[in-house]
Amino acid sequence: MSETMNGLNYSRISKRLLIATMVFLALTDPVKAQETFPVNGTVNKQLLRIAFEHATVHVSASETLEDATVVIYRGRIEAVGPSAIVSIKEPAVRHDMTGLHLYPSFVDVHQSYAMPKAQREEWSRGPQYLSDKKGAFGWNEAIRPETSAAMEFDPSGSGKSRTSLQKAGFGAVLTHVQDGIVRGTGALVALSEDPRKALLIPDVSTHFSFRKGTSSQDYPRSLMGATALLKQTHFDADWYADASRLNERLESNLSLEAFNAQRDLPAFFEAGGWEDALRAANVSAAVDRSEPFVIVAGNNVYQRLEEVKATGALLVLSVNHPKPFDVSDPHLSRLIGLDELKHWELAPSNAARVHQAGISFAITSDGLQKPTELRKAVQVCIGHGLPENVALAALTEIPAKMLRAQDRIGALRTGMEANILVMDGPVFHADAQLMEHWIQGKQHIYVDRNALDIRGDYDVTLEDEVLSLSVEGEADAPRGYFMLDSTKINVKVNQDGRTLTLGFQLDTLGFDGWWRATGNAWMDSRIWEGKGQRADGTWFDWSAIRQEADESGALEEVAIALEPDSVVGKVIWPFTAYGNEERPKAQTVWFENATIWTCEEEGVLEAADLVLHNGEILAFGIGLDPSSVFGVNPPEYETIDARGKHITPGIIDEHTHIAATRGINEGTQASSAEVSIETAVNSEDVNIYRQLAGGVTTAQILHGSANPIGGQSAIIKFRWGSSPEELLFDEAPSFIKFALGENVKQSNWGNDYRSRFPQTRMGVEQVYYDHFYRAREYEQAWKEYEKMVRNASRRARRSNLIVAAPRRDLELETLAQILRSDRFVTCHSYRQDEINMLMHVADSMGFTINTFTHILEGYKVADKMAEHGAGGSSFSDWWAYKYEVKDAIPYNGAVLHGQGIVTAFNSDDAEMARRLNQEAAKAVKYGGVSEIEALKFVTLNPAKLLRIDHLVGSIAVGKHADVVVWDEHPLSIYARAEQTYVDGVRYFDLDADGEKRDWMRSERARLTQAMKAGGASGGSAEGPPRTPTEKLRTHYHCETLTDENR
Amino acid sequence: MNWKLFFALIAPFAFISAGTCQPTPAPEQTESVLLLGGTAHLGTGDALENAAIGFRDGKIDYVGFARSVDRARYDEIIEVKGQHIYPGFIAPNSTLGLQEIGAVRATRDDAEVGTFKPHVRSVIAFNTDSEVTPTVRTNGVLMGQITPRGGTISGTSCIVHFDGWNWEDAALKTVDGIHLNWPSTHHRHRQDGTIDIRKRKTYDQQYQEILHFFEEAKAYQAYERAPATSPRDLRMDAMRGIFDGSLRLFVHAQDVRQITEAVHFKRQMGIEHLVIVGGYDAPLVADLLRDNEVPVMLKRLHTLPRFAEDDVDMPYRLPKLLEDEGVLYCLQNAGDMEHMGTRNLPFYAGTAHAYGLTYEQAVQSVTLSAARILGVDSFCGSLETGKDATLFISEGDALDMRTNYLTEAFIQGRSIDLDNRQRQLYRKYQTKYGAPILD
Repeated sequence: MSETMNGLNYSRISKRLLIATMVFLALTDPVKAQETFPVNGTVNKQLLRIAFEHATVHVSASETLEDATVVIYRGRIEAVGPSAIVSIKEPAVRHDMTGLHLYPSFVDVHQSYAMPKAQREEWSRGPQYLSDKKGAFGWNEAIRPETSAAMEFDPSGSGKSRTSLQKAGFGAVLTHVQDGIVRGTGALVALSEDPRKALLIPDVSTHFSFRKGTSSQDYPRSLMGATALLKQTHFDADWYADASRLNERLESNLSLEAFNAQRDLPAFFEAGGWEDALRAANVSAAVDRSEPFVIVAGNNVYQRLEEVKATGALLVLSVNHPKPFDVSDPHLSRLIGLDELKHWELAPSNAARVHQAGISFAITSDGLQKPTELRKAVQVCIGHGLPENVALAALTEIPAKMLRAQDRIGALRTGMEANILVMDGPVFHADAQLMEHWIQGKQHIYVDRNALDIRGDYDVTLEDEVLSLSVEGEADAPRGYFMLDSTKINVKVNQDGRTLTLGFQLDTLGFDGWWRATGNAWMDSRIWEGKGQRADGTWFDWSAIRQEADESGALEEVAIALEPDSVVGKVIWPFTAYGNEERPKAQTVWFENATIWTCEEEGVLEAADLVLHNGEILAFGIGLDPSSVFGVNPPEYETIDARGKHITPGIIDEHTHIAATRGINEGTQASSAEVSIETAVNSEDVNIYRQLAGGVTTAQILHGSANPIGGQSAIIKFRWGSSPEELLFDEAPSFIKFALGENVKQSNWGNDYRSRFPQTRMGVEQVYYDHFYRAREYEQAWKEYEKMVRNASRRARRSNLIVAAPRRDLELETLAQILRSDRFVTCHSYRQDEINMLMHVADSMGFTINTFTHILEGYKVADKMAEHGAGGSSFSDWWAYKYEVKDAIPYNGAVLHGQGIVTAFNSDDAEMARRLNQEAAKAVKYGGVSEIEALKFVTLNPAKLLRIDHLVGSIAVGKHADVVVWDEHPLSIYARAEQTYVDGVRYFDLDADGEKRDWMRSERARLTQAMKAGGASGGSAEGPPRTPTEKLRTHYHCETLTDENR
Repeated sequence: MNWKLFFALIAPFAFISAGTCQPTPAPEQTESVLLLGGTAHLGTGDALENAAIGFRDGKIDYVGFARSVDRARYDEIIEVKGQHIYPGFIAPNSTLGLQEIGAVRATRDDAEVGTFKPHVRSVIAFNTDSEVTPTVRTNGVLMGQITPRGGTISGTSCIVHFDGWNWEDAALKTVDGIHLNWPSTHHRHRQDGTIDIRKRKTYDQQYQEILHFFEEAKAYQAYERAPATSPRDLRMDAMRGIFDGSLRLFVHAQDVRQITEAVHFKRQMGIEHLVIVGGYDAPLVADLLRDNEVPVMLKRLHTLPRFAEDDVDMPYRLPKLLEDEGVLYCLQNAGDMEHMGTRNLPFYAGTAHAYGLTYEQAVQSVTLSAARILGVDSFCGSLETGKDATLFISEGDALDMRTNYLTEAFIQGRSIDLDNRQRQLYRKYQTKYGAPILD
C-alpha cells in the first residue's frame, strides 16, 4: 500500500492508532506520553538526568575522551566532557562507567524497518500496459515517489527486527519501502517503540533502484528499460514543474508532484554492486541531478575500484562476506565459478580496498542474515586492513552526514539523540561485549554491568586444607574444579546473584561422599565465605580468597586477532574466468612474412610485413624497412615470424547479443526507442574472450526483435577486461534496432498476446508512420520553442515569463535523430513485402534504412534495396525455424553482394560468433563469392554497415590495429586464431590461453584448499556451506524475452 | 558433371517455368558405375589415393586403386580425378522429416505427449517430402537416425536414407532403439538475471520411476509366451528389444553424474547396448564408458562450453579427448535449429579435425563410427565391398565449407538429384536479375 494520501488508508491507520493509543495509555508509563496528548493520570515531568561518569567516551570516530562524562536529559545528550569539568544538574542518576567505553550508536541507511512488506500482485494472464493503481498517479507502477516512509512507518509489528537492530548496535536507521525504481522518501527513525518519538526526520531522503519490484506492469522488462524510465521520469518532472509554474498544465500527476518535492533531498540508489553503481552514476549525469546518488553498492566494489571512484559518489557498503562453498565433491565443484571462489576470498577486503582508494562510505547491515552479525563482519573487514576508526565512522558520522543529520545522530555531542553504546572494550575488538544500548535515553541491557563475575582462581580454605579452585566458562554459566596435585576434580558451581553454591566429592582427601557448600561473594568476588554440609549432614565453615588475575595474555590474543590476514589472490579484470591480473597494453609488433588479407585494393599480399604501433596499423607491405617505418628513433618492438600464417582484419559482428545484462528485449511496447543497450553492457561476459579466440574484435550488441521500434544498440570493441564504458566504440555513430514480421506481431507468443498493436504486417507499417510523424512534430515543437525563447524580450526571459518547454521525450528524441540521419536503423527483417514497405516509409520520411539484418528474403528485393541504399547483414544458412523464413536461402549473401549491396554475415548467436570466418566461407560455397570478397562479409562490410570502416574492417595504414593471426587459410574450417589484437593490444594469444588455463586450475586449487581450511583468509565460515549452483547466463538471441529486472 | 557450368549454361532456359518442387526420388541402379581417380575416404580411418570405387545393384563391389581395377566390368565410368569420394554421412539423433518449420506447430511431429512412450515410432512420421531434407543431402549427409523428442522415454528412432517416395522406401531400420532422457540431477533456478541449477529434489523419485518402468518391462517379457489373445500393453511390448539385445537404449545425458548413473543402470538392468547421447562430460568418465562398452554420440560440437572456465575450444575438442581414451563415439547435431542445421554435420567433423583428430578419423566420426553405434555397420557406413553404395563425390574437401561441393551422390547406387528448393529459388532470382548462376 502506498496511497497514504487517500482517505481510505487514513481511516485504516487511524483505527490502528486508536487501538494502539488505548493499549498504550492503559499499560505504559506516562513518561512516554506526548506533549500534545491528553494525560491520563499523573504527569511525569521528566526531571531526572542520567549521567555516565568516568567512561572512555568516543565522541566520534576521530575523537575520544578518557575519564569523561556524558549527561542525558529527556532523551538527548545534554553535556559531554571530562568528568572533572562536567557539572551534573540535579536531580540525576549517576552511573559509574569506569573501564567502559561509550560510543555513538550506529546508523544504518539501508533498511526497510517498520515498513509494510512489498507484495507482488497475483500474476494475471496477458500483458499489462498501464498502471492499475487507482488515483491521479503516474503511468508506471515502478515509479512511486508518492510513497512516504514516514507515512508508512509503523514500528508496532517490528519488535523482532528492532530488538535485533538494537542489539547489533543501531540506534537509528534510514528506512524506506524498498520497492520500485523511484521509491519515494525515506524516514530517519530511532529504534524506539513509540513512533512519535522514533520518527526523527520524516522525508529525509529519496530512494531509487533499477529494479521494478512488485510492479505487475510489463514495462520495464529490462535493465535498459528501467534506466530509460528513470531518466524519462526526471524529464517528465522537469516539464511538470515548468508547466505548473506557467499554468500550462492540463493534467495533475501526484507522482510527479511528489518527485519534484523531493528533488533536493539526499538520494540513495540501491545498486547492489559496482555494475549498477556505474550505471546509476551515468543516469545521474545524464539527467543533471542536483543531488548525485549515494550508491548502495554491495560488496564487490573492489572489482572496479577506479571506475567507481571516478563517479565521485559516496557509497554504502555491505559486509555480508560470502560463505564458503561445499567443495567436497570435485565434480560438483566445477559448478562454482572462479569468480565466486575469488569473491569469497576477496569480498572481506572490499571495505579496506574502497577506503584505500580514498572513497568515503557508510556500512549497512543489509545482506547479513541477522543484523547482529554486524560487529563480527566488521571485525573481518578490519582483519583485512580496514582501520577501526574508519569502520566506526562508516557506521556513525558518515551515514549521519549522508542524511544531513550529523547534528542529531552519529556522534556523542550536546543536543544529539541520546543513542549510546556501552561497551566493555573497544567496539570492534573480538571479545568486547555490548553491555547496554541507550536509545533516546532508554536503556537496553544485554550484560548486567553490575553482575558479579566470579570467574577466576581461588584459594579455598576447607577443613584446614587450602585447595586451589578455578572457575571458568561463561560468566552466567561458570564451571569449577579443584586442582589436587595435577588432578582436576570437578566442582559444581552455581551462582545466583551474590549467593554461591558448590558441590564436590573429595574422597582422596578423606572427605567421604558428596559435600555441599553455600555462601556469599563479597568485595567483587574477591572473598567468598559461608557454610557447608558434609555427607553425614554435619556442618562446616569455608572461605575463599581470589588470586589476582594476570590479564596480559588476553590482550595479546586481541592483538593477534587484529593482525590483517594476507590475501593471496589478486583482483582480475574482468572478474571472471580468463580475466587478467594486469591490464594488457598496446604493443609495437612487427609481423614478418605473413600472408596478409588486406580487404583493401591490395588484396592478399604474400610474404608481407605488418607493423602495429600505438594501437594503429603503422605500415604493411612487402620488404618493409624499419628505418623507413619508424624513422630515426625506432621504438622497442617485438618481431613475430608469421611465415605460413595468415593475417586478416579483426572480425566484426554486426548483430550480437552477448555482453548485455538483464534483458536485451524491452519489447513491452510497440516502440521502445528510448532504451539503450549501452546502459546494460556486461563487461564480464566470458563470451567476449571466447569470441576473441575466434578472431572477433568489434560487435554491435543489438536490442532484440520483439517490437517494431526496438532500442538503441551498443557498438563495442573487445577490450577484454575493460569496464563497460571502456568497451564502447566511442567513434562509432549511433544505431537503433527495428524489427518486422512474426516477432513484432507476437505471432509465436501464444494466445495471451493478441492485444498489442500491431498484430499484422499492416499494423506494423502504421506504427512506423505514427511514430515518425510524432517525432517530426516533436522536433518542430522544440524548434518553435527555441525560436520563441530567442525572440522573447530580455525581460520576459529574465522573469521566466515564457511558455513551458516541450516535454523532453527520450523516445521521440531518438526517432527524431533517425529523421535527421543522426542515428541509423538496422532492421530485423525476413519477408520481402515488409522490407519493401519499410524502405517506402523511410523514403517518404527522408532517411535511409542503413541495414537490414537477417534480411533472409533480401535476395527477392535486392534491386530495390540497392536503389534505396540499404545494406544487408544476413545469416549464412539459417532457415525453416519460422514460417517467414521458409524461403530463406544460403545463397542470399551471394545474391545481395552480386547486386552491389554491402553484405555482411552476422552471428546473432554467441557460439556462431566464434566461427564467423567459417560462415563467410559459406558465401563461397553457396553462390560462388570470391574468397577475398567473402572475407569482407565479416570484416570490411560490417564495418561499412556500422559506418566505422574508416577506422576498422581492413588492413590499412592509420586504421585501428585490430588484426587476427590465423594458422591457416582464414576461410577454412581448420583455421584457428593464434593471436587477436584490438587497438594493438594482444587480447588473445593461443600460448597465453594455455597459461591462463593452468593459472585457473592452480588458482581454483588454492582457493579450494583455503575453503577447506575453514575460511581463514576468506569470508565468514559461519552457517552451512553453500551447495554449488550452476550459473548459466541467459544465452540471448533476438527473440529472447525475459523479465529479468525485478 | 560440372554442375556450376551446367547450371550456368542451361539455367536461364530450363528453370524459369520449372517452378519449385521436391527432387524426384532416383530410380533403381540398373547400370554398374565405377568412380575412377580421386581420393577415397573409406570411413574406416583409411584413405586411398587415385582410387577406384565400383558398385552395381546398389552395392559396392570394388574398392581399390584406379590402376588395378578392371574398367571393362562397369557400364559407366565417372572420372573423379582431383575429387573426393566419401561414404554418405550419417546424421544420428536427428528430427529431420519430423518437423518442417520450427515455429509452426502444425508442421511439428517430433515430440509426442507423455512421459514413458516407447511405443511411439518415429518412422511413420518421417516425411520424405520435407523441403529440408534435400538441402541436407546436398552437403553429403545421406542417412540419418530419425529420433523423437520429449518425455522421459521419447519413443523409438528409425534409420533412413534420404531418398524415397515414402517412409517405407526410406527406412533402413524401422526401429533401431529407444530414447531415454536421463533426468538431470540439478534443476534450473533463476535469480537476478542468472540461472542457477540446484540439486534436484525430485531426482531420486524420477530415477525410481525409470527403474520401475524397466523392471516392469523386464517382467513383462515372460508374458510373451502367453496366448496371442491375451491383453497387450503396447508400451511393454515396445520394450522387448531392449532386453533381447535387438534394440539399443539411447540415453540422452550430458553431465558426469547422469552418465555414471546411466552406465550403472545398464549393468543393473542387464542392457546389452547402451549409447550415451550428448556426453559433454564423457571424457571425465572415459574409463567407465570404455570398460562397459558404452559409445557416445557426442553433442553438437558447435555449441558453447558449459562453464565459463571450460577451455575455450570446448566442445570442439571432445572427439579428440574420447579418441585418445579409446571410447567409441560419433557426431550428431541435436539442439537449436537442428533439422535444418543437419547440413552442417560435415563441418562438425571438420572442426574435430581442426581440434585434434586426424582427417580420416574425422571422416569416420560421421560415417563408420556412427553406423557402428547405430548397429548398421554391416551394410553401410564405409566404402567397403558388399556394403550399400551410399556415397558421394565432392569437388573438394567435404569437411570444410570452403570446399564442400557435391558433384554426384548415390544412395544404394541410385544417382540422386542434388537440386533443392533453395537452389531453385537462387536460380529464379539470379535469373530475375540477369545475374550469373554460380552454383
